[in-house]
Amino acid sequence: MTKREGPRRAWFGFRLRAMASLGVAMMLYDKPKLAGTLVGVMFAVVLSLQQLSILSGLLDKNTMLVDHAGADIWIAPAGTEQLQPGLPLSDAVLMRARTTRGVSLAEPLVFSGATVKTPSGASEPVTLLGSTQPLRLGGPWALVAGESSAIEHADTVIFEDSERDTLGSLNLGSRRELNGRLVTAGGFTWGLLPFGPAYAFADIDLARELTGLPENQHSFVLVRIREGEDAGVVARRLADRIPEVKVMTTSAFHDSIVHRLLADQLGVSFGTSTAFGLLIGFAIVALSMFSSVLDHVREFGTLKAIGCTNFDLTKLLLAQSLGYAIFGSLIGMAVVTGMAEGIRSPQLVPIIDPRLYLLAPLAMIVLCMAASVLALFRVRSLEPGLVFR
Amino acid sequence: MSELAVSARGVTKTFGRGSLAFTALHGVDFHVERGEFVMLAGPSGSGKTTLLSILGCVLTRTSGDVELLGRRVSALPERKLPAVRLAMIGFVFQGHNLLPALSAHDNVAFVLKMKGWRDRDADREASRLLERVDLGDREFVRPAQLSGGQRQRVAIARALAGDPPLVLADEPTAALDAANGLRATELLRDVAAERGGSVVVVTHDNRIFHLADRIVHIEDGRVASEEGAPS
Repeated sequence: MTKREGPRRAWFGFRLRAMASLGVAMMLYDKPKLAGTLVGVMFAVVLSLQQLSILSGLLDKNTMLVDHAGADIWIAPAGTEQLQPGLPLSDAVLMRARTTRGVSLAEPLVFSGATVKTPSGASEPVTLLGSTQPLRLGGPWALVAGESSAIEHADTVIFEDSERDTLGSLNLGSRRELNGRLVTAGGFTWGLLPFGPAYAFADIDLARELTGLPENQHSFVLVRIREGEDAGVVARRLADRIPEVKVMTTSAFHDSIVHRLLADQLGVSFGTSTAFGLLIGFAIVALSMFSSVLDHVREFGTLKAIGCTNFDLTKLLLAQSLGYAIFGSLIGMAVVTGMAEGIRSPQLVPIIDPRLYLLAPLAMIVLCMAASVLALFRVRSLEPGLVFR
Repeated sequence: MSELAVSARGVTKTFGRGSLAFTALHGVDFHVERGEFVMLAGPSGSGKTTLLSILGCVLTRTSGDVELLGRRVSALPERKLPAVRLAMIGFVFQGHNLLPALSAHDNVAFVLKMKGWRDRDADREASRLLERVDLGDREFVRPAQLSGGQRQRVAIARALAGDPPLVLADEPTAALDAANGLRATELLRDVAAERGGSVVVVTHDNRIFHLADRIVHIEDGRVASEEGAPS
C-alpha cells in the first residue's frame, strides 16, 4: 500500500470555499448563460441608475439656486415649499433678520419672471435674479464667459449660455430689450436651467428697475450665520422673531423642494421606471439561474450523491448570485457612467451620486440572491438517486 | 469472522402505491466484506441498480436494514445521509458524471476539500490519484477534452478520493470499449485494494467478471445465486 499523507483538517468554512469555488467555476464555464445573466443584471443597473441619475439631475435643476446661493438660511414668503416667486417680503423682515442674534449678514434677493425681446421680435422668458454686492448671495455662478463682476456695470445682465441662440445669437456685448429696457449681455453661465425659464443675473438695483419691485420689498432674504453658530438654531430664532414668514436652513429648503417634486411629479414616474428596470433584471436573472439548474440537473444530482447537502448547494447558488451581481453591476455602472457623460448637456446633467456606486452592487446582490430562490427550490427538490437512472 | 463493509438484510423496495405499486427488491440479503470486490450481475430491470442505490444511501428502502461498517444507516434520517455518503462511499457512475467546469484534478480535489482536507493536501492527493490511474499528464484538462476511458478513470480517482471504505460503481464499463472497460475495472479493483476499500460493481459485462472476488446474480428483485469469479 502506498504511503500517503493523512487528511489535515481545513479551517472553518472549507465547505463554503469549496462550494463557492465550484459555483464560480460553473458560472464561468457556461458562457452563454453567464452572458445572458450578466446582461440581465447590467440591464437592471443601467436602467435604474440612469433613471436615478436623470432624476438627480432634474432635482438639481430645481435646487441649484438654493444650493449655490451661498446662504445658510433662506427667509421666504409664508407657505413656500418650492423655489418660486411669492408675495414679496417687507423691509421689516430684512431688518429683523439683520438684528437677530447669530446672523452675520442678511441680504435681499430679487427673484422674478422677465421677458427678453429677440431681434426677430419674439419674446423669450427668463427668471431674473438680482443680488447685492459684495457677496452676491444668489449668484451668478458657473460662468463660462465674462466675469460675475460684470453685473456691477450699468444695464448689464448675465445670461445662460445654452439660451444664446434662443435669445437671437446672443454674444458678449449684445444688447437686448428685457422687460422693455435695453440691457447688455455681460457674461454667460452654463447649465443654469431650472424647470422654468433659464436664470439671468443682474445687480439688485437693475433687477428692481426691470421688475418694478420696490426697494423696500424683497423676493427672498438670504442669511449667513456667524461662525460657530448652528444654522438650525439661528433659523428657529429667526422664525420666532419673524413669525409671518417661512424660515428654512438651506438644507431644509433643498429637502422641501425635493420632497415636493418627488411627491407631486417626478417620484411616481421615475420610481416606476426604476422599479421596472429592477423587475426586468430580476426576471432575467431568476429565469437564467433556473434554466441553468435545469441544464445541469445531472451535475447537481451528482453533487448530492457524493455528499453535498442542500445547504452546500445553497452556498453554490449564492456564490453564483454574488458573482453575477458584482460583475453585472461593474459592467452596468461603467455603461451608465459613459451614458451619463454622453447625454450631459446644459438642459440635463445626469448626476450619479457616488453612494449609488456602492448601493447598486448591494441592491444587485440582494436582487440576484432573491432571484436564485427559484433555482434553489429546484435544486432542493432533486433526488440524489437520479444519477443512477 | 471478517468485518463487513456493507450488509443488507431483508431489503425490500416498492415504488408507487396501490395498483401501481411495483416491488423492485424482495427481501434481499447481501453483504460485502472489507476489501472485497463484488459484482452484482443480472438482466436489465432485475433490481441491481436499485440495490446499489439503497446501499449508497441515495434511495431509501421500504423495509429491511442496511449497515455500513456496522452502522445502521437505514435508520438514519434523510438529513444525515449526505454526511454518510461523503465520508463512507465513493461513486462511479455509468456516464462518469464529472463536473464539466472543473479539470480532472479539480474534480478529484473537490471531493477531498468537501471532506475537510486542506487545499494543499487535497491538491497533492488529487495529483497522486490521477497519476495512479495513469492520467498524470492529463491532470489539468477538462472532461470534455478527455476520452471516454480517461473520463471513467478520473471518475474512479474521484470515487477513491479520501479512501471511502465502500465504492459503488454502476455499469462503469457501459460506455467503454472492451479494452478500456477492462482497464478501468482493473484500476478500480487495484487502487481500491491498495487503499483497503471494498467495491460493489453493477454490471452485465461478462468480459470483466473474472476480476471479481464474488459475483452475485440478481433476478426479479431477488438474489438468485452467488459464485466466485470465473477463472
